[in-house]
Amino acid sequence: MTAPDETGIGVDEWVEQSEGRREGHTGFTAPARRLFDKLTPGSRLTLFLLAAATYPFLVRGSDVRIGITILLLAMVALGLNVVVGWAGLLDLGYVAFYGFGAYFYAIVASDQLPAHWPTWIAIPIIVAASALLGALLSLPSRRLVGDYLAIMTLFFAQIFVELVRNFERLPFVPDDLNLTGGPNGIPGVKPFEFFGFEFNGQELLGGTLPTFSRQYYLVLVFLGLLIVGLHNLNDSRTGRAWRALREDTLAAEHMTMPVNRLKLLAFAVGAGIAGLSGALFATVQNGVFPNNFNLFVLIIMYAAVILGGSGSIPGVVLGAVAIAYVPELLRDPTKAGLLFYVGIAVVLFVLVRRWDKIAATVGGVFVLGLVVRFFSSRIWDESILGEVNDTSLSRLLDDWVLNFESQRDVITSYAFVLAIVGVLLVVLATGWWKIAALIPTLYLAILVWENKLVFQPSITRQLLFGAVLVVMMAVRPQGLLGTRRVEIM
Amino acid sequence: MEFFLQQTVNGLTLGSVYALLALGYSMVYGILKLLNFAHGEVYMFGAFAGYGMLTILGGSSALVVPVWLALVLMFLAAILASSAIGVALERFAYRPLRQSTRIAPLISAIGASFFLQAAALLMFTANSRTFNTPQLIAIDSGIPFGPIRVWMVRVLVIVTSFVLMVLLYLWVNRTKTGKAVRAVSFDREAAAMMGIDVDKVIVVVFLIGSALAGIGGVMVGLVFGRIFHIMGFVAGLKAFTAAVLGGIGSIPGAMLGGLMIGLAEAFTTGYISSTFQNLIVFGLLIVVLLIRPSGLLGRPELVKV
Amino acid sequence: MKPILELRSLSKAFGGLQVIQDLDLVVGAGQIVTDDDPVVGQGEAVADLDFSLKPGEIVSVIGPNGAGKTTLFNLITGIYEPDSGDILMDGRSIIGLSPEQVSNLGVARTFQTLRVFLNMTVKENVMAAAYGNTKVGMWGSVFRTPSARREEKQISDLAESKLSFFGERLMGYRWDQPAYSLSYANRRRLEIARAMATNPRLLMLDEPAAGMNPAETHEITELIGQLRDDVGYSILVIEHDMHVVEGISDRVIALDHGVKIAEGSFEEVATNPHVIEAYLGAGAAGTK
Repeated sequence: MTAPDETGIGVDEWVEQSEGRREGHTGFTAPARRLFDKLTPGSRLTLFLLAAATYPFLVRGSDVRIGITILLLAMVALGLNVVVGWAGLLDLGYVAFYGFGAYFYAIVASDQLPAHWPTWIAIPIIVAASALLGALLSLPSRRLVGDYLAIMTLFFAQIFVELVRNFERLPFVPDDLNLTGGPNGIPGVKPFEFFGFEFNGQELLGGTLPTFSRQYYLVLVFLGLLIVGLHNLNDSRTGRAWRALREDTLAAEHMTMPVNRLKLLAFAVGAGIAGLSGALFATVQNGVFPNNFNLFVLIIMYAAVILGGSGSIPGVVLGAVAIAYVPELLRDPTKAGLLFYVGIAVVLFVLVRRWDKIAATVGGVFVLGLVVRFFSSRIWDESILGEVNDTSLSRLLDDWVLNFESQRDVITSYAFVLAIVGVLLVVLATGWWKIAALIPTLYLAILVWENKLVFQPSITRQLLFGAVLVVMMAVRPQGLLGTRRVEIM
Repeated sequence: MEFFLQQTVNGLTLGSVYALLALGYSMVYGILKLLNFAHGEVYMFGAFAGYGMLTILGGSSALVVPVWLALVLMFLAAILASSAIGVALERFAYRPLRQSTRIAPLISAIGASFFLQAAALLMFTANSRTFNTPQLIAIDSGIPFGPIRVWMVRVLVIVTSFVLMVLLYLWVNRTKTGKAVRAVSFDREAAAMMGIDVDKVIVVVFLIGSALAGIGGVMVGLVFGRIFHIMGFVAGLKAFTAAVLGGIGSIPGAMLGGLMIGLAEAFTTGYISSTFQNLIVFGLLIVVLLIRPSGLLGRPELVKV
Repeated sequence: MKPILELRSLSKAFGGLQVIQDLDLVVGAGQIVTDDDPVVGQGEAVADLDFSLKPGEIVSVIGPNGAGKTTLFNLITGIYEPDSGDILMDGRSIIGLSPEQVSNLGVARTFQTLRVFLNMTVKENVMAAAYGNTKVGMWGSVFRTPSARREEKQISDLAESKLSFFGERLMGYRWDQPAYSLSYANRRRLEIARAMATNPRLLMLDEPAAGMNPAETHEITELIGQLRDDVGYSILVIEHDMHVVEGISDRVIALDHGVKIAEGSFEEVATNPHVIEAYLGAGAAGTK
């Protein structure tokens, strides 16, 4: 034994010098991140709520609806975050609880049933019923871990949609009872109403609010309460136990944590939040339809959680804002164009990072465009006579990029495939080869954008979601505000 | 009796396509522990590639080449397109994530599936295409099977799938590459240390799995006529169910699961109602998973403490 | 008085491979009669229980790799169920209990393969383990009731006091660092602190000195002694480092192929020919 006797227990120079080694934030987002770190959770929430509360006064009436969509997505994503981000349970059936809450509210607050329930009774019952359903569905899944849990819950979600679509055709259901409205859904859902106060008008305290404001503030209040509650829960023994379970279920079990009960609780809490959000969704939309709860919606929820940072409350809210707001920008061609070219500029800076190379790329794309246009217009003049998107940006580019009058769909399809191949080459290439691949790729991307995508916001949105998920996983799997995670396999 | 046989043939046809698809899921899962949610989209692109080739050759009614050559070229086109997409998926969506958390590649797969679906919508629009198979292979051609006659296309589908499955089984069990595949699926690191080029093996698995999916896509186009940009979702889900039912990671399991799902669907449609087709299939899966959490032929995972 | 832990002819086989065979063991009671014949007649090895009880006892389990040491731990903590035999905690059988139930009875363990909660902070790792000894429900936490705040403060103090057991190593800024940033040795310490937070009476340490340098090994040896002397735990240790075993053990048990081949003081076991044979192979016993 070589240990000298004067070694006391736990003398550690590393710890003593720790202050000097602390890493600060770097990069151009550092000031914002330092500021974010300095704020207490309470002041962050206050700032967020203040900003959110002024939103309806800053936009036109119909845009308030976008705000409602954002807030609702934030709520439901926070619930998903409990199950996936904290407890680490891969629940692909989550959207079913959202649907359950929505349909439940729609049924008791529309003409589907003769009896209309008062909101203040319906809401607690819906939350409790959703939580119970979540707990029940987690029972058979107890033995399953990881991927198998994901599989099982995915099928629960599919079964939910099937049931809702075919409710009246199920066995043992009387012919005249059509609770879910089948594929047509339930229109005409009543607004929330608390003791005579309806959440659908515009007047409040004698003043007039922008349209939809009552619903907006209703959702905002729920979201604020939810954030406070979840923040408290995260820093409690239950929250810690969930995270311990996520990190290492077996070790958690050895450290006095009742794993099965905690899993059940996580499912129930997540489902309860989803049920509440669903009920709010039903009242805001004035109706529910099977397609509101399909896999696409689930993926949007996951995208919000993952983009923002799984496990982080501010992250998930930020993710929801990004995921719900960006597609709305795409609807307006001017904003969409701006978004596209700003996006390209950002990608260029992140990818290339050197001024001479960026200049070379931009110059290269410009020259390539002129050359292609010159030859193309000589050979086939329909290639420049196409309809131009009616925004100043597109008109500016009309003298540079090709605009096809006929065969537009076929040509853009090929250009699209080539652009994808180009992107893949850019990822693989290094040095100046990267630039060489980037120039035609960018040109093709702009070509496809101006000729097709700008007219197809819904396709663009879907492409964008898919690409964001893939790229995000490769570049920053912890999300915008999440902390890096390690995992031993 | 005739009806029963007819439904059996329907189930076998559908089931062999599901089995081909399920094999891709199962092999990828076996080797990477990854649920490749984009597999259904690979299959959809295969179907469209086959359709594209058919169009180039003049369409079903005005073929410029013999029918057999057209079929071969269609399958080749599908194999090429599908395996190109499959390999690109592996290289760009999954390989960067090998060392990351378990959830990351799953999300990446969902993203890729989304992206591919949108790309198909962009390129092929939302309109469905039809193969017009009866003009290609007469509907009354076929071989007798008891009191009924089985259309030649169905025979083609069932026989081809079975041959492919047997070939795959032999390849995995008898060849050197097949052995390497099994080694990698058993323990990737140990296999790498034994000198197996793991990256190459994984690419080969994606290549084969995607090629089978592409073949399945053309088969579905031939038998059921219509193809459309979201066909991959439901078929992928069913094939995935089949893979899980048989025991994901197990090759015979995928075949068994595929045939079971196909038959279950055919009989539900035939004897009960098509409304409940999906409900019954998913219910069947849940029941099996409850009794045998690792599927019919799968092995339970061992956890080292 | 009853011993804390008692195993009675415990056996466990995996797929035909006998991993633990007819194993008897008592922890927390007094002296144990060593059996001369290792294979036959172990039924009586723990017959004599009415000796005076020491407040805490440190028993080391040694043996070559694959001897069944970790399996023994897994049997006691409820990961596996034994094929035959009985495990008694305070005289009550704990066969069939889940790991959670066993840990709530006062058995805490560390893992050979290190299973800290990597993406939680150091302090949270320890706080999480206080789950079984705290009561506040979910709603209490959501609304931060006064009792919830009080309990949260207690958990925090508990974690800090357990972490302070290791001197400065896990203190200060390290509290808020994720556990994955810790070194191998510090993760071992964190696992011990975490196990301590479950408020155990029996602490089971699986190779606590693995991966530590000589100075750290020396330190952990002293620490294990302190755990017994200051806190009063009974301790069951698996360890390969004979200096550690010598330094801490009241009693040593040697396993080979799941069979107990020797038991007694360190000197007795270290010079036992069966043990030397198990480690060095047949024929080596005579050469020492």
